Amino acid sequence: MFAKLKNLPLGIVLFISGVFVLLPLGSAAEFSLRQPASNDHGLNNYLWIFEQPEFAHYIGISIALASVASLILLVLLVPTVVWLNLKGQKLRPFVDFITLMPLVIPVVALAIGAQNSLPEFAQTNQFILSFLYAVLAMPYAYRTLDTGLKAIPLKTISEAARGLGANWFVAIFRVITPVIRGTVLSALFMSLALSFGEYTVTSLLHWDTFTTWVTVISQQNVMGAIALSVFSLLAIFIFLLLVGLLAKPATSQALKEEE
Amino acid sequence: MSQAEIQTRKGASLRGTLSGQSLGLILGILPLVSFMGVFFFWPLWSVLWSSFQDNVGAFTLANFQVALGEPYKTAFSNSISLGLISAISSAIPGAVIAYVIESRGGERLRQFVASISGVLSTTGGVPLAFMFIAAYGAEGSATAVLRAFGINIYAGTFTLYSLAGVIFVYSYFMIPTMVIVFSPAVHGIRKEWQEAAKNLGATTAQFWRRVGIPLLFPSFISSLLLLFAAAFSAYATARAMTSGSVALVPLMIGNLVDGNVINDQMNLGKALAMGMVLVSLVAMIPYLLIQRRASRWQ
Repeated sequence: MFAKLKNLPLGIVLFISGVFVLLPLGSAAEFSLRQPASNDHGLNNYLWIFEQPEFAHYIGISIALASVASLILLVLLVPTVVWLNLKGQKLRPFVDFITLMPLVIPVVALAIGAQNSLPEFAQTNQFILSFLYAVLAMPYAYRTLDTGLKAIPLKTISEAARGLGANWFVAIFRVITPVIRGTVLSALFMSLALSFGEYTVTSLLHWDTFTTWVTVISQQNVMGAIALSVFSLLAIFIFLLLVGLLAKPATSQALKEEE
Repeated sequence: MSQAEIQTRKGASLRGTLSGQSLGLILGILPLVSFMGVFFFWPLWSVLWSSFQDNVGAFTLANFQVALGEPYKTAFSNSISLGLISAISSAIPGAVIAYVIESRGGERLRQFVASISGVLSTTGGVPLAFMFIAAYGAEGSATAVLRAFGINIYAGTFTLYSLAGVIFVYSYFMIPTMVIVFSPAVHGIRKEWQEAAKNLGATTAQFWRRVGIPLLFPSFISSLLLLFAAAFSAYATARAMTSGSVALVPLMIGNLVDGNVINDQMNLGKALAMGMVLVSLVAMIPYLLIQRRASRWQ
Protein backbone atom coordinates (compact mmCIF):
# COMPACT_ATOMS: atom_id res chain seq x y z
CA MET A 1 0.00 0.00 0.00
CA PHE A 2 2.77 2.36 1.00
CA ALA A 3 4.71 1.50 -2.12
CA LYS A 4 1.64 2.22 -4.23
CA LEU A 5 1.12 5.64 -2.63
CA LYS A 6 4.75 6.48 -3.14
CA ASN A 7 4.42 5.69 -6.82
CA LEU A 8 1.27 7.74 -7.25
CA PRO A 9 3.09 10.76 -8.81
CA LEU A 10 4.87 8.39 -11.19
CA GLY A 11 1.54 6.83 -12.16
CA ILE A 12 -0.07 10.21 -12.77
CA VAL A 13 2.85 11.42 -14.89
CA LEU A 14 2.93 8.22 -16.92
CA PHE A 15 -0.84 8.33 -17.47
CA ILE A 16 -0.92 11.97 -18.60
CA SER A 17 2.15 11.52 -20.81
CA GLY A 18 0.62 8.40 -22.31
CA VAL A 19 -2.61 10.24 -23.14
CA PHE A 20 -0.64 13.20 -24.50
CA VAL A 21 1.34 10.96 -26.87
CA LEU A 22 -1.24 8.34 -27.84
CA LEU A 23 -4.50 10.33 -28.01
CA PRO A 24 -3.61 12.41 -31.09
CA LEU A 25 -1.87 9.46 -32.71
CA GLY A 26 -4.78 7.05 -32.18
CA SER A 27 -7.32 9.68 -33.03
CA ALA A 28 -5.58 10.62 -36.28
CA ALA A 29 -5.31 6.92 -37.15
CA GLU A 30 -9.08 6.58 -36.62
CA PHE A 31 -9.70 9.71 -38.68
CA SER A 32 -7.59 8.34 -41.53
CA LEU A 33 -9.84 5.25 -41.67
CA ARG A 34 -13.03 7.29 -42.03
CA GLN A 35 -14.83 7.02 -45.35
CA PRO A 36 -17.08 10.07 -45.61
CA ALA A 37 -18.77 8.83 -48.80
CA SER A 38 -20.16 5.67 -47.22
CA ASN A 39 -20.06 6.99 -43.64
CA ASP A 40 -18.07 4.06 -42.26
CA HIS A 41 -14.46 3.05 -41.63
CA GLY A 42 -12.20 1.27 -44.05
CA LEU A 43 -8.93 1.34 -45.89
CA ASN A 44 -10.09 3.50 -48.80
CA ASN A 45 -7.82 6.46 -48.00
CA TYR A 46 -4.82 4.17 -47.80
CA LEU A 47 -5.77 2.37 -51.01
CA TRP A 48 -6.08 5.77 -52.67
CA ILE A 49 -2.47 6.56 -51.74
CA PHE A 50 -1.16 3.41 -53.33
CA GLU A 51 -3.13 4.10 -56.48
CA GLN A 52 -1.29 7.37 -56.99
CA PRO A 53 1.40 6.85 -59.61
CA GLU A 54 3.63 9.43 -57.83
CA PHE A 55 3.62 7.44 -54.60
CA ALA A 56 6.29 4.92 -55.58
CA HIS A 57 8.21 7.59 -57.47
CA TYR A 58 8.53 9.94 -54.49
CA ILE A 59 9.15 7.18 -51.96
CA GLY A 60 11.96 6.03 -54.22
CA ILE A 61 13.47 9.52 -54.46
CA SER A 62 13.25 10.07 -50.71
CA ILE A 63 14.83 6.72 -49.87
CA ALA A 64 17.64 7.31 -52.37
CA LEU A 65 18.37 10.82 -51.04
CA ALA A 66 18.22 9.69 -47.41
CA SER A 67 20.49 6.70 -48.07
CA VAL A 68 23.12 8.82 -49.78
CA ALA A 69 22.93 11.38 -46.94
CA SER A 70 23.41 8.68 -44.29
CA LEU A 71 26.27 7.12 -46.22
CA ILE A 72 28.03 10.49 -46.50
CA LEU A 73 27.58 11.04 -42.77
CA LEU A 74 28.96 7.67 -41.75
CA VAL A 75 31.94 7.73 -44.08
CA LEU A 76 32.76 11.22 -42.86
CA LEU A 77 32.01 10.79 -39.17
CA VAL A 78 33.15 7.29 -38.16
CA PRO A 79 36.85 7.86 -38.93
CA THR A 80 36.76 11.43 -37.61
CA VAL A 81 35.13 10.53 -34.31
CA VAL A 82 37.47 7.55 -33.82
CA TRP A 83 40.38 9.85 -34.54
CA LEU A 84 39.13 12.48 -32.12
CA ASN A 85 38.67 9.93 -29.35
CA LEU A 86 42.12 8.40 -29.91
CA LYS A 87 44.36 11.35 -30.62
CA GLY A 88 42.50 14.54 -31.19
CA GLN A 89 41.44 15.46 -27.65
CA LYS A 90 42.81 18.96 -28.18
CA LEU A 91 40.61 19.54 -31.20
CA ARG A 92 37.46 18.27 -29.52
CA PRO A 93 36.01 21.62 -28.40
CA PHE A 94 36.41 22.93 -31.95
CA VAL A 95 34.81 19.91 -33.63
CA ASP A 96 32.07 19.74 -30.98
CA PHE A 97 31.31 23.34 -31.77
CA ILE A 98 31.16 23.12 -35.56
CA THR A 99 29.06 19.95 -35.52
CA LEU A 100 26.58 21.55 -33.14
CA MET A 101 26.11 24.64 -35.30
CA PRO A 102 23.45 23.16 -37.66
CA LEU A 103 21.25 22.87 -34.57
CA VAL A 104 21.82 26.53 -33.74
CA ILE A 105 21.45 28.18 -37.13
CA PRO A 106 17.87 28.26 -38.47
CA VAL A 107 17.42 25.80 -41.35
CA VAL A 108 15.79 28.54 -43.42
CA ALA A 109 19.08 30.46 -43.38
CA LEU A 110 21.01 27.41 -44.60
CA ALA A 111 18.47 26.86 -47.38
CA ILE A 112 18.76 30.45 -48.58
CA GLY A 113 22.53 30.24 -48.36
CA ALA A 114 22.66 27.05 -50.39
CA GLN A 115 20.50 28.63 -53.03
CA ASN A 116 22.70 31.71 -53.03
CA SER A 117 26.14 30.14 -53.02
CA LEU A 118 26.21 26.67 -54.56
CA PRO A 119 27.28 26.47 -58.19
CA GLU A 120 24.79 25.82 -60.98
CA PHE A 121 25.72 22.15 -61.51
CA ALA A 122 25.13 21.42 -57.82
CA GLN A 123 21.77 23.18 -57.78
CA THR A 124 20.42 21.33 -60.79
CA ASN A 125 21.18 17.92 -59.29
CA GLN A 126 18.71 16.69 -56.69
CA PHE A 127 21.45 14.83 -54.83
CA ILE A 128 22.67 18.18 -53.50
CA LEU A 129 19.86 17.63 -50.99
CA SER A 130 21.70 14.59 -49.60
CA PHE A 131 24.67 16.78 -48.70
CA LEU A 132 22.44 19.32 -46.99
CA TYR A 133 20.50 16.58 -45.16
CA ALA A 134 23.86 15.26 -43.96
CA VAL A 135 24.67 18.72 -42.55
CA LEU A 136 21.30 18.87 -40.76
CA ALA A 137 21.65 15.37 -39.25
CA MET A 138 25.28 16.03 -38.26
CA PRO A 139 24.65 17.16 -34.63
CA TYR A 140 22.62 14.01 -33.89
CA ALA A 141 24.86 11.53 -35.70
CA TYR A 142 28.06 13.01 -34.27
CA ARG A 143 26.82 12.85 -30.69
CA THR A 144 25.43 9.33 -31.10
CA LEU A 145 28.73 8.02 -32.45
CA ASP A 146 30.75 9.91 -29.86
CA THR A 147 28.74 8.46 -26.96
CA GLY A 148 29.08 4.98 -28.43
CA LEU A 149 32.84 5.27 -28.83
CA LYS A 150 33.29 6.56 -25.29
CA ALA A 151 31.63 3.39 -23.99
CA ILE A 152 34.23 0.98 -25.46
CA PRO A 153 37.93 0.50 -24.64
CA LEU A 154 38.84 2.18 -27.92
CA LYS A 155 42.53 2.60 -27.20
CA THR A 156 43.08 -1.06 -26.37
CA ILE A 157 41.16 -2.25 -29.40
CA SER A 158 42.91 0.01 -31.84
CA GLU A 159 46.35 -0.70 -30.37
CA ALA A 160 45.66 -4.42 -30.66
CA ALA A 161 44.56 -4.03 -34.28
CA ARG A 162 47.54 -1.85 -35.12
CA GLY A 163 49.87 -4.18 -33.26
CA LEU A 164 48.66 -7.09 -35.37
CA GLY A 165 49.59 -5.15 -38.47
CA ALA A 166 46.33 -3.49 -39.47
CA ASN A 167 46.65 -0.07 -41.03
CA TRP A 168 44.35 2.75 -39.93
CA PHE A 169 41.81 2.06 -42.65
CA VAL A 170 41.49 -1.60 -41.70
CA ALA A 171 41.50 -0.76 -37.99
CA ILE A 172 38.67 1.73 -38.31
CA PHE A 173 36.42 -0.06 -40.79
CA ARG A 174 37.07 -3.73 -40.04
CA VAL A 175 37.83 -3.70 -36.32
CA ILE A 176 36.38 -0.66 -34.57
CA THR A 177 33.22 -0.20 -36.64
CA PRO A 178 32.03 -3.79 -36.03
CA VAL A 179 32.57 -3.31 -32.28
CA ILE A 180 30.30 -0.25 -32.23
CA ARG A 181 27.88 -1.54 -34.87
CA GLY A 182 24.91 -0.87 -32.57
CA THR A 183 25.88 2.78 -32.30
CA VAL A 184 26.66 3.03 -36.00
CA LEU A 185 23.24 1.53 -36.74
CA SER A 186 21.45 4.04 -34.51
CA ALA A 187 23.35 6.92 -36.10
CA LEU A 188 22.51 5.48 -39.53
CA PHE A 189 18.79 5.10 -38.86
CA MET A 190 18.54 8.42 -37.07
CA SER A 191 19.99 10.18 -40.10
CA LEU A 192 17.82 8.12 -42.47
CA ALA A 193 14.69 9.14 -40.55
CA LEU A 194 15.69 12.80 -40.31
CA SER A 195 16.59 12.99 -44.00
CA PHE A 196 13.42 11.19 -45.04
CA GLY A 197 11.27 13.72 -43.20
CA GLU A 198 13.19 16.86 -44.17
CA TYR A 199 10.90 19.55 -45.54
CA THR A 200 12.37 23.04 -45.15
CA VAL A 201 15.47 22.82 -47.34
CA THR A 202 13.72 20.58 -49.85
CA SER A 203 10.83 22.93 -50.41
CA LEU A 204 12.86 26.15 -50.34
CA LEU A 205 15.19 24.75 -53.00
CA HIS A 206 12.07 23.78 -54.97
CA TRP A 207 12.62 20.04 -55.09
CA ASP A 208 9.93 17.45 -54.56
CA THR A 209 10.29 14.47 -52.28
CA PHE A 210 7.85 12.24 -50.43
CA THR A 211 7.46 14.85 -47.66
CA THR A 212 6.68 17.79 -49.92
CA TRP A 213 4.42 15.59 -52.04
CA VAL A 214 2.17 15.15 -48.97
CA THR A 215 1.42 18.89 -49.00
CA VAL A 216 0.77 18.77 -52.73
CA ILE A 217 -1.80 15.96 -52.48
CA SER A 218 -3.44 17.55 -49.44
CA GLN A 219 -4.88 20.07 -51.86
CA GLN A 220 -6.62 17.31 -53.85
CA ASN A 221 -7.50 14.91 -51.05
CA VAL A 222 -7.15 15.90 -47.40
CA MET A 223 -8.15 12.44 -46.18
CA GLY A 224 -5.40 10.94 -48.33
CA ALA A 225 -2.85 13.41 -46.94
CA ILE A 226 -3.89 12.54 -43.39
CA ALA A 227 -3.66 8.81 -44.11
CA LEU A 228 -0.21 9.38 -45.60
CA SER A 229 0.89 11.42 -42.57
CA VAL A 230 -0.31 8.80 -40.09
CA PHE A 231 1.33 6.11 -42.18
CA SER A 232 4.69 7.90 -42.33
CA LEU A 233 4.66 8.88 -38.63
CA LEU A 234 3.84 5.35 -37.51
CA ALA A 235 6.37 3.85 -39.91
CA ILE A 236 9.13 6.12 -38.56
CA PHE A 237 8.10 5.51 -34.91
CA ILE A 238 8.20 1.75 -35.33
CA PHE A 239 11.39 1.93 -37.34
CA LEU A 240 13.24 4.06 -34.75
CA LEU A 241 11.90 2.12 -31.77
CA LEU A 242 12.94 -1.19 -33.32
CA VAL A 243 16.39 0.22 -34.03
CA GLY A 244 16.57 1.52 -30.45
CA LEU A 245 15.76 -1.94 -29.15
CA LEU A 246 18.09 -3.74 -31.55
CA ALA A 247 20.95 -1.36 -31.02
CA LYS A 248 21.11 -1.84 -27.27
CA PRO A 249 21.07 -5.59 -26.65
CA ALA A 250 24.18 -5.28 -24.48
CA THR A 251 22.63 -2.68 -22.17
CA SER A 252 19.35 -4.50 -21.75
CA GLN A 253 21.26 -7.71 -21.03
CA ALA A 254 23.20 -5.89 -18.33
CA LEU A 255 19.94 -4.56 -16.92
CA LYS A 256 18.44 -8.02 -16.75
CA GLU A 257 21.38 -9.20 -14.71
CA GLU A 258 21.03 -6.22 -12.42
CA GLU A 259 17.42 -6.97 -11.57
CA MET B 1 71.67 7.64 -24.32
CA SER B 2 74.16 10.28 -25.31
CA GLN B 3 73.73 13.94 -24.65
CA ALA B 4 73.26 14.64 -28.35
CA GLU B 5 70.55 12.01 -28.62
CA ILE B 6 68.64 13.53 -25.75
CA GLN B 7 68.97 16.90 -27.38
CA THR B 8 67.56 15.70 -30.70
CA ARG B 9 64.77 13.82 -28.99
CA LYS B 10 63.84 16.88 -27.06
CA GLY B 11 64.01 18.94 -30.20
CA ALA B 12 61.93 16.45 -32.16
CA SER B 13 59.25 16.21 -29.54
CA LEU B 14 59.15 19.97 -29.18
CA ARG B 15 58.84 20.44 -32.89
CA GLY B 16 56.39 17.54 -32.88
CA THR B 17 53.99 19.35 -30.61
CA LEU B 18 54.32 22.48 -32.63
CA SER B 19 54.10 21.33 -36.21
CA GLY B 20 54.23 17.63 -37.06
CA GLN B 21 51.75 16.47 -34.47
CA SER B 22 49.32 19.31 -34.93
CA LEU B 23 49.49 18.87 -38.68
CA GLY B 24 48.59 15.21 -38.20
CA LEU B 25 45.79 16.17 -35.86
CA ILE B 26 44.37 18.66 -38.31
CA LEU B 27 44.60 16.16 -41.18
CA GLY B 28 42.39 13.82 -39.14
CA ILE B 29 39.55 16.30 -38.98
CA LEU B 30 40.15 17.87 -42.38
CA PRO B 31 37.47 15.89 -44.28
CA LEU B 32 34.77 16.77 -41.77
CA VAL B 33 35.82 20.38 -41.48
CA SER B 34 35.99 20.89 -45.25
CA PHE B 35 32.59 19.24 -45.68
CA MET B 36 31.06 21.58 -43.11
CA GLY B 37 32.92 24.47 -44.71
CA VAL B 38 31.51 23.84 -48.18
CA PHE B 39 27.96 22.84 -47.29
CA PHE B 40 27.33 24.86 -44.15
CA PHE B 41 29.68 27.76 -43.42
CA TRP B 42 30.15 28.88 -47.01
CA PRO B 43 26.37 29.13 -47.67
CA LEU B 44 25.91 31.04 -44.40
CA TRP B 45 28.77 33.38 -45.23
CA SER B 46 27.15 34.04 -48.61
CA VAL B 47 23.88 34.97 -46.89
CA LEU B 48 25.71 37.40 -44.64
CA TRP B 49 27.60 38.88 -47.57
CA SER B 50 24.59 39.25 -49.85
CA SER B 51 22.45 40.73 -47.11
CA PHE B 52 24.59 43.86 -47.34
CA GLN B 53 24.29 44.11 -51.12
CA ASP B 54 21.71 45.80 -53.29
CA ASN B 55 20.42 44.35 -56.58
CA VAL B 56 23.55 45.30 -58.51
CA GLY B 57 25.99 44.16 -55.81
CA ALA B 58 26.84 47.49 -54.20
CA PHE B 59 27.07 47.84 -50.43
CA THR B 60 23.82 48.86 -48.75
CA LEU B 61 22.01 48.78 -45.42
CA ALA B 62 18.63 49.10 -47.12
CA ASN B 63 17.79 45.37 -46.76
CA PHE B 64 18.12 45.64 -43.01
CA GLN B 65 16.15 48.87 -42.93
CA VAL B 66 13.23 47.14 -44.65
CA ALA B 67 13.68 44.01 -42.50
CA LEU B 68 13.32 46.11 -39.36
CA GLY B 69 10.15 47.83 -40.59
CA GLU B 70 6.62 46.51 -41.00
CA PRO B 71 5.39 43.86 -41.72
CA TYR B 72 8.65 42.15 -40.76
CA LYS B 73 8.82 43.80 -37.35
CA THR B 74 5.52 42.15 -36.40
CA ALA B 75 6.76 38.85 -37.83
CA PHE B 76 9.90 38.99 -35.67
CA SER B 77 7.88 39.82 -32.59
CA ASN B 78 5.42 36.98 -33.40
CA SER B 79 8.26 34.51 -33.94
CA ILE B 80 10.00 35.52 -30.73
CA SER B 81 6.77 35.26 -28.71
CA LEU B 82 6.04 31.90 -30.33
CA GLY B 83 9.53 30.75 -29.32
CA LEU B 84 9.22 32.04 -25.75
CA ILE B 85 5.68 30.86 -24.99
CA SER B 86 6.30 27.54 -26.67
CA ALA B 87 9.57 27.03 -24.77
CA ILE B 88 8.09 27.89 -21.37
CA SER B 89 4.92 25.88 -21.84
CA SER B 90 6.91 22.81 -22.89
CA ALA B 91 9.85 23.21 -20.52
CA ILE B 92 7.76 23.10 -17.34
CA PRO B 93 5.88 19.84 -18.02
CA GLY B 94 9.06 18.39 -19.56
CA ALA B 95 11.07 19.20 -16.43
CA VAL B 96 8.38 17.67 -14.18
CA ILE B 97 8.27 14.49 -16.27
CA ALA B 98 12.08 14.26 -16.29
CA TYR B 99 12.20 14.72 -12.52
CA VAL B 100 9.47 12.21 -11.68
CA ILE B 101 10.83 9.56 -14.07
CA GLU B 102 14.43 10.03 -12.98
CA SER B 103 13.69 10.04 -9.26
CA ARG B 104 10.98 7.39 -9.09
CA GLY B 105 11.27 5.26 -12.20
CA GLY B 106 13.34 2.10 -12.43
CA GLU B 107 16.25 1.69 -14.81
CA ARG B 108 14.09 -0.03 -17.41
CA LEU B 109 11.37 2.65 -17.35
CA ARG B 110 13.98 5.39 -17.68
CA GLN B 111 15.47 3.65 -20.69
CA PHE B 112 12.02 3.26 -22.21
CA VAL B 113 11.09 6.91 -21.65
CA ALA B 114 14.44 7.97 -23.11
CA SER B 115 13.92 6.04 -26.34
CA ILE B 116 10.28 7.15 -26.71
CA SER B 117 11.34 10.77 -26.12
CA GLY B 118 14.10 10.37 -28.67
CA VAL B 119 11.64 9.19 -31.28
CA LEU B 120 9.03 11.87 -30.48
CA SER B 121 11.58 14.67 -30.49
CA THR B 122 12.35 13.93 -34.15
CA THR B 123 8.71 14.31 -35.22
CA GLY B 124 7.57 17.52 -36.71
CA GLY B 125 7.09 18.78 -40.17
CA VAL B 126 4.04 18.31 -42.29
CA PRO B 127 2.92 14.87 -41.01
CA LEU B 128 2.69 16.18 -37.44
CA ALA B 129 0.56 19.10 -38.59
CA PHE B 130 -1.84 16.78 -40.40
CA MET B 131 -1.97 14.42 -37.44
CA PHE B 132 -3.10 17.26 -35.15
CA ILE B 133 -5.57 18.60 -37.70
CA ALA B 134 -7.16 15.13 -37.87
CA ALA B 135 -7.11 14.53 -34.12
CA TYR B 136 -7.89 17.94 -32.64
CA GLY B 137 -9.89 19.42 -35.49
CA ALA B 138 -13.56 20.17 -34.90
CA GLU B 139 -14.45 16.68 -36.17
CA GLY B 140 -11.52 14.86 -34.61
CA SER B 141 -12.05 12.08 -32.11
CA ALA B 142 -9.40 13.47 -29.71
CA THR B 143 -11.57 16.61 -29.46
CA ALA B 144 -14.58 14.37 -28.85
CA VAL B 145 -12.78 12.33 -26.18
CA LEU B 146 -11.71 15.49 -24.35
CA ARG B 147 -15.25 16.87 -24.61
CA ALA B 148 -16.59 13.66 -23.06
CA PHE B 149 -14.34 14.39 -20.07
CA GLY B 150 -15.64 17.92 -19.84
CA ILE B 151 -12.79 19.64 -21.66
CA ASN B 152 -14.05 21.57 -24.65
CA ILE B 153 -11.01 22.98 -26.41
CA TYR B 154 -13.27 24.98 -28.71
CA ALA B 155 -15.19 26.68 -25.90
CA GLY B 156 -13.06 29.82 -26.24
CA THR B 157 -11.52 31.32 -29.33
CA PHE B 158 -8.99 28.53 -29.82
CA THR B 159 -8.31 27.26 -33.31
CA LEU B 160 -5.50 25.01 -34.46
CA TYR B 161 -4.66 27.43 -37.24
CA SER B 162 -3.48 30.21 -34.91
CA LEU B 163 -0.36 30.94 -32.88
CA ALA B 164 -1.91 29.07 -29.93
CA GLY B 165 -2.57 26.10 -32.21
CA VAL B 166 1.01 26.05 -33.46
CA ILE B 167 2.28 26.19 -29.85
CA PHE B 168 0.02 23.26 -28.98
CA VAL B 169 1.34 21.20 -31.91
CA TYR B 170 4.97 22.06 -31.15
CA SER B 171 4.59 20.76 -27.59
CA TYR B 172 4.31 17.26 -29.10
CA PHE B 173 8.01 17.27 -29.93
CA MET B 174 9.20 20.01 -27.53
CA ILE B 175 8.14 18.31 -24.28
CA PRO B 176 10.02 15.10 -25.23
CA THR B 177 13.02 17.23 -26.23
CA MET B 178 12.92 18.84 -22.78
CA VAL B 179 12.79 15.40 -21.14
CA ILE B 180 15.93 14.41 -23.08
CA VAL B 181 17.98 17.52 -22.39
CA PHE B 182 16.88 18.02 -18.78
CA SER B 183 17.11 14.42 -17.52
CA PRO B 184 20.91 14.41 -17.17
CA ALA B 185 20.66 17.46 -14.88
CA VAL B 186 18.05 15.79 -12.67
CA HIS B 187 20.14 12.64 -12.67
CA GLY B 188 23.00 14.75 -11.33
CA ILE B 189 21.03 15.68 -8.18
CA ARG B 190 22.56 12.92 -6.16
CA LYS B 191 20.53 11.08 -3.57
CA GLU B 192 23.48 11.57 -1.22
CA TRP B 193 23.08 15.35 -1.36
CA GLN B 194 19.47 15.07 -0.34
CA GLU B 195 20.50 12.76 2.51
CA ALA B 196 23.36 15.01 3.51
CA ALA B 197 21.02 18.00 3.67
CA LYS B 198 18.56 15.98 5.74
CA ASN B 199 21.31 14.89 8.14
CA LEU B 200 22.28 18.52 8.59
CA GLY B 201 18.68 19.24 9.60
CA ALA B 202 17.23 20.62 6.37
CA THR B 203 13.60 20.03 5.53
CA THR B 204 12.65 18.88 2.03
CA ALA B 205 11.50 22.40 1.18
CA GLN B 206 14.78 23.83 2.43
CA PHE B 207 16.75 21.31 0.40
CA TRP B 208 14.93 22.35 -2.76
CA ARG B 209 15.17 26.07 -2.06
CA ARG B 210 18.85 26.07 -1.09
CA VAL B 211 20.33 23.17 -3.05
CA GLY B 212 18.05 21.53 -5.60
CA ILE B 213 16.63 24.51 -7.46
CA PRO B 214 19.88 26.53 -7.52
CA LEU B 215 21.58 23.46 -9.01
CA LEU B 216 18.89 22.74 -11.58
CA PHE B 217 18.15 26.33 -12.52
CA PRO B 218 21.06 26.83 -14.96
CA SER B 219 20.20 23.59 -16.77
CA PHE B 220 16.55 24.57 -16.87
CA ILE B 221 17.37 27.92 -18.41
CA SER B 222 19.73 26.40 -20.93
CA SER B 223 17.15 23.78 -21.95
CA LEU B 224 14.61 26.57 -22.26
CA LEU B 225 16.93 28.42 -24.63
CA LEU B 226 17.36 25.31 -26.77
CA LEU B 227 13.58 24.91 -27.00
CA PHE B 228 13.25 28.59 -27.83
CA ALA B 229 15.66 28.23 -30.74
CA ALA B 230 13.81 25.16 -32.02
CA ALA B 231 10.37 26.79 -31.90
CA PHE B 232 11.64 30.13 -33.18
CA SER B 233 13.06 28.65 -36.37
CA ALA B 234 10.64 25.78 -37.08
CA TYR B 235 9.20 26.10 -40.57
CA ALA B 236 7.37 23.07 -41.91
CA THR B 237 4.75 22.54 -39.19
CA ALA B 238 3.94 26.25 -38.95
CA ARG B 239 3.58 26.49 -42.69
CA ALA B 240 1.30 23.47 -42.97
CA MET B 241 -0.81 24.62 -39.99
CA THR B 242 -1.34 28.27 -40.69
CA SER B 243 -0.82 28.38 -44.47
CA GLY B 244 0.47 31.90 -44.02
CA SER B 245 -2.32 33.32 -41.85
CA VAL B 246 0.09 34.00 -38.98
CA ALA B 247 3.03 36.29 -39.77
CA LEU B 248 6.20 34.40 -38.78
CA VAL B 249 9.69 35.23 -40.03
CA PRO B 250 10.57 31.81 -41.50
CA LEU B 251 7.27 31.75 -43.41
CA MET B 252 7.89 35.26 -44.74
CA ILE B 253 11.35 34.24 -45.91
CA GLY B 254 9.78 31.22 -47.56
CA ASN B 255 7.24 33.42 -49.33
CA LEU B 256 10.02 35.64 -50.65
CA VAL B 257 12.04 32.65 -51.85
CA ASP B 258 9.03 31.02 -53.51
CA GLY B 259 8.15 34.29 -55.21
CA ASN B 260 4.72 34.39 -53.55
CA VAL B 261 5.59 37.86 -52.36
CA ILE B 262 7.41 40.15 -54.74
CA ASN B 263 9.87 42.59 -53.31
CA ASP B 264 12.12 44.68 -55.51
CA GLN B 265 15.01 44.17 -53.09
CA MET B 266 16.27 40.72 -54.04
CA ASN B 267 18.40 40.37 -50.90
CA LEU B 268 15.67 41.21 -48.40
CA GLY B 269 15.18 37.52 -47.57
CA LYS B 270 18.87 37.25 -46.69
CA ALA B 271 18.64 40.18 -44.30
CA LEU B 272 15.65 38.50 -42.64
CA ALA B 273 17.59 35.24 -42.45
CA MET B 274 20.52 37.06 -40.82
CA GLY B 275 18.06 38.51 -38.32
CA MET B 276 16.97 34.97 -37.46
CA VAL B 277 20.57 33.81 -37.15
CA LEU B 278 21.25 36.69 -34.79
CA VAL B 279 18.26 35.90 -32.55
CA SER B 280 19.23 32.20 -32.48
CA LEU B 281 22.83 33.04 -31.59
CA VAL B 282 21.68 35.31 -28.77
CA ALA B 283 19.71 32.37 -27.38
CA MET B 284 22.24 29.63 -28.06
CA ILE B 285 25.48 31.20 -26.86
CA PRO B 286 24.30 31.33 -23.22
CA TYR B 287 23.00 27.78 -23.74
CA LEU B 288 26.46 26.55 -24.73
CA LEU B 289 28.15 28.42 -21.87
CA ILE B 290 25.71 27.10 -19.26
CA GLN B 291 25.98 23.56 -20.63
CA ARG B 292 29.74 23.66 -20.26
CA ARG B 293 29.44 24.91 -16.69
CA ALA B 294 26.75 22.43 -15.75
CA SER B 295 28.75 19.50 -17.15
CA ARG B 296 31.31 20.10 -14.38
CA TRP B 297 29.14 18.65 -11.67
CA GLN B 298 27.10 16.19 -13.71
